[in-house]
Amino acid sequence: MPGDGISLAHGIGGAKDLPIPPELAILGAVAALTVSFTVLAVAWRTPRYDESKTGRPAPDWLAGVVDSAAFRIGLRVVGIVLFAYAAVAAVFGRDLLTNPVFGIFYVWWWVGLVPLSLLFGPVWKAISPVRTINLVFARLSGSDPEAGVFHYPARLGYWPAAVGLFAFVWLELVYPFSTELGPVRLWCAIYVAVMLLGGALFGSGFYERGDPFEVYSSLVAKLSVWGRRDGRLIVRSPLANLDTTLAVPGLLAVLSVLFGSTAFDSFKDSSFWVRFTQDSDISTNLLNNLALLAFCVGVGLVFLVGCVTTGVDPDTRRLELPNKFAHSIIPIVVGYIVAHYSTYLLEYGQQTLIQASDPFGNGSDLLGTGDWTVNYWLSFHPTFLAVLKVLAVVVGHVLGVIAAHERAIELLPKRHQLTGQLPLLFAMIAFTVGGLYLLFAA
Amino acid sequence: MRRTAIVLTALLCASPILAGCSDEESPAPTSSGDETATVEITFSDGEVTPMGDRVEVEAGKPIELVVEADEPGELHVHSTPEKEFEYDAGSSTFELTIDEPGVVDVEAHDPKVVIVQLEVS
Repeated sequence: MPGDGISLAHGIGGAKDLPIPPELAILGAVAALTVSFTVLAVAWRTPRYDESKTGRPAPDWLAGVVDSAAFRIGLRVVGIVLFAYAAVAAVFGRDLLTNPVFGIFYVWWWVGLVPLSLLFGPVWKAISPVRTINLVFARLSGSDPEAGVFHYPARLGYWPAAVGLFAFVWLELVYPFSTELGPVRLWCAIYVAVMLLGGALFGSGFYERGDPFEVYSSLVAKLSVWGRRDGRLIVRSPLANLDTTLAVPGLLAVLSVLFGSTAFDSFKDSSFWVRFTQDSDISTNLLNNLALLAFCVGVGLVFLVGCVTTGVDPDTRRLELPNKFAHSIIPIVVGYIVAHYSTYLLEYGQQTLIQASDPFGNGSDLLGTGDWTVNYWLSFHPTFLAVLKVLAVVVGHVLGVIAAHERAIELLPKRHQLTGQLPLLFAMIAFTVGGLYLLFAA
Repeated sequence: MRRTAIVLTALLCASPILAGCSDEESPAPTSSGDETATVEITFSDGEVTPMGDRVEVEAGKPIELVVEADEPGELHVHSTPEKEFEYDAGSSTFELTIDEPGVVDVEAHDPKVVIVQLEVS
């Protein structure tokens, strides 16, 4: 137990966001509903995002910089330095909430990856320390980092990443000792061990499918403007980029965990759930475990049913549809993450930078940020924050509906193109209205 | 028809912004004046009342926690930064103000229970 008497059983958050005002929630829901059917009624009728044609090459100088060895190595060094810094704080720092490792782990890494990937593309792939270590091992042993002992089984797809992401959200949201040093250290050690083993067994291709953070970051990066074609860096619209998401097994599972867990995080702070769990004879921890699982599985099931209840050609396999449509949940997930985590990222992100200056808890100021103070501007402007939340959710919803529409006219037979989209549209409306309801009620 | 739909959509999307702007101009009604919000908390036979209720309070206004307890213990207020209050058996009163808007849990830690959630706005 920590020595300073501050509870660690509460996560690193102090105050949480105010609920959004009901009129904003209703406006957002109405907007989402209207836009959904408008898209269906007025959007294009022939597929428009052909991966081999969309986008244009990035300027030569930019492609030159991005593809240069110096840039790539520089990013790998940044990743390793951050990793080493966090590891040193985790091993030699004190078991106090002021240890920056908690903020680095739960705020910078988990939430910070989202804006970084939105702006710059697949960031984690570029800085991932486990990739770098795998690369160095391969160099030292004179083998090929891409090659492993076995071929990665295609059937596994993103499933290892889905399991890893669930393990992360479980630690963050349900596990009662999530802000004690021991469990965080153990989690990270297991993560690194599994990643290095995976890299050795299957080659570095494993990270593309099995590293929870790389999968998370690279999927969010599908909403950035950066893509590649035949190795060439290209710039395309986020919607065209989103359409290039591969329908890999487990894609829906990954996105269900991301969306379901964020929704559960809103839900678990609601007065309803707090009172219900405290009144119940069943242990709060067990109820939270069940609810987290139920949210993730529930999101997946709602989407699955929305996808398969359509007419298809005789040669289309119905059960393949959910993964082929699942990329359309990415913007919904990102919108909801922006809504749910903006204050958390900005305010605890700053606090982490301040704490990072004293990784050992001995009063040192290594980075010179130790005497900075946190700017709480966002918390002090709750109306602005509420509008930002609703806009993020509605914009995410609109992009998701358009992405699903494009895929429907590509995959579904002509006569089912409109009606076939309806169940999926209802599923998405359920997500968005449900999300807004949680922002309002929690 | 098509144009109408687009215009309607654009308006609906913009309305939260408009609503937001007009909201920001008018400060929250200050009907309560300088009145102190009071939250009564009772500990008895290991039970706490209330158990997770929401209480609306105003940012920057004093809040009084009135504790009636049969054994000594500690209250944790999960504001930013956190506050702690130790109480003895009998009745005790603690005053605090929270400046930053948000939802703040007031907890007992033995057993770990959320007593009230202060909705500070």
